Amino acid sequence: MIVVDTTPPPRLPVRDRTGGRERAGGAVSPMLTRLAAERATGVLERERGALYLVEGRVVHAESPFAPGLDVLLLTHGTLEPGVWWEAVERSGEERGAARLLLDTGRIGRGALEVCHLGALYDAAYFALAPSSTPGRFRYGAGHWFGALRPVPVDAVERETLRRRELLDRLWPDPLPDSAPLLRADPAADPLPPSRQRAVLALVDGVRTAPEIARELGRPAFPTLVDVRRLAAAGLVTARFPPPVAQPPPALALPQVNDPDITLLKRLRDALEAL
Amino acid sequence: MPGIDECLLEAMRLPGARGAALVDWTSGLALGSVGEFPGGDHEAAAAETAEVARLTAEQRAFTPDDGGEGADPPVEDLIISNRDSYHVLRFVPTSFDSSVFLHVWLARSDGNLALARIRLGEMAGRLVLG
Repeated sequence: MIVVDTTPPPRLPVRDRTGGRERAGGAVSPMLTRLAAERATGVLERERGALYLVEGRVVHAESPFAPGLDVLLLTHGTLEPGVWWEAVERSGEERGAARLLLDTGRIGRGALEVCHLGALYDAAYFALAPSSTPGRFRYGAGHWFGALRPVPVDAVERETLRRRELLDRLWPDPLPDSAPLLRADPAADPLPPSRQRAVLALVDGVRTAPEIARELGRPAFPTLVDVRRLAAAGLVTARFPPPVAQPPPALALPQVNDPDITLLKRLRDALEAL
Repeated sequence: MPGIDECLLEAMRLPGARGAALVDWTSGLALGSVGEFPGGDHEAAAAETAEVARLTAEQRAFTPDDGGEGADPPVEDLIISNRDSYHVLRFVPTSFDSSVFLHVWLARSDGNLALARIRLGEMAGRLVLG
């Protein structure tokens, strides 16, 4: 009998029940915790994204690193672009785009909730990433999408922490999350699952994980999960340091340093003489 | 056109239903949950079932003979039983890119697996078609 030995997958992290709430509140964004407590309405703008609150609950999130709802709904033809853009244009204070989209009957409540919640947690993961600048809250600012299924702030914070831990357990290096990705040539070729193959097919030395997610019309966090799994399997590496400005090839020839070579030769001779 | 909560409440009407949740199997996030869950913690239960669902969805051994490449995921449902209960996990295919499944926990004494499978399949279809 042939026993195929595979590495057991890391367990999805489970929240530590003892005092998790207090830790989550303190670790992600104290400002957000305070805004939830005072049931604030407005938008929290942070370095990597924004969270929209209505009465202290998260109704929407956006981040340049996560594909927007438009990308998710239009890429795979869930909605026709005309239907989407009309709802966006007609949305106002009273009726957000979510309500208008449901009224068209072109998308069901369940589908819109699943897609929007996925996008909300996805963007929140990036928006709540550790930042070098303080966040800013603008009271009263609403979002054109409107409220569909508000989520408690502590649920978003807990999930964000859990996601960080999940990525860390899969592959502890965060570089592949943001750097251009390169295909590695693995000695053994383990065929990854189809969702990872789709990601791998777009790895070209230029695209980053968020760009691949956008191209696939897929939320960014699942793509980070796939990329870290591919990195752990040795199929993908991140370009480091990220390329800045490529010098012309003629200038990039290796500078041969003669003294080093003579030193190495003398060292070799000395070792051989031992 | 049911939303997530209506769908889960409908699942709770199955004979013997103890808890129902809609879970994302990539992240382990429960998008919604009603009723009770093993261990009393629905977030922990979601993370654990998500891991089983992900492994099932990714194994080539469980794909149909036609390759299953067209269907994402290639698996329809997953049934786990123990001495006192059943767990039925029903993958929900969506027209957009997602990775969600319905999870229903049934008491073994009055749960009906065949009925649960059929109903969950219908609910999964209605949830995302509207």
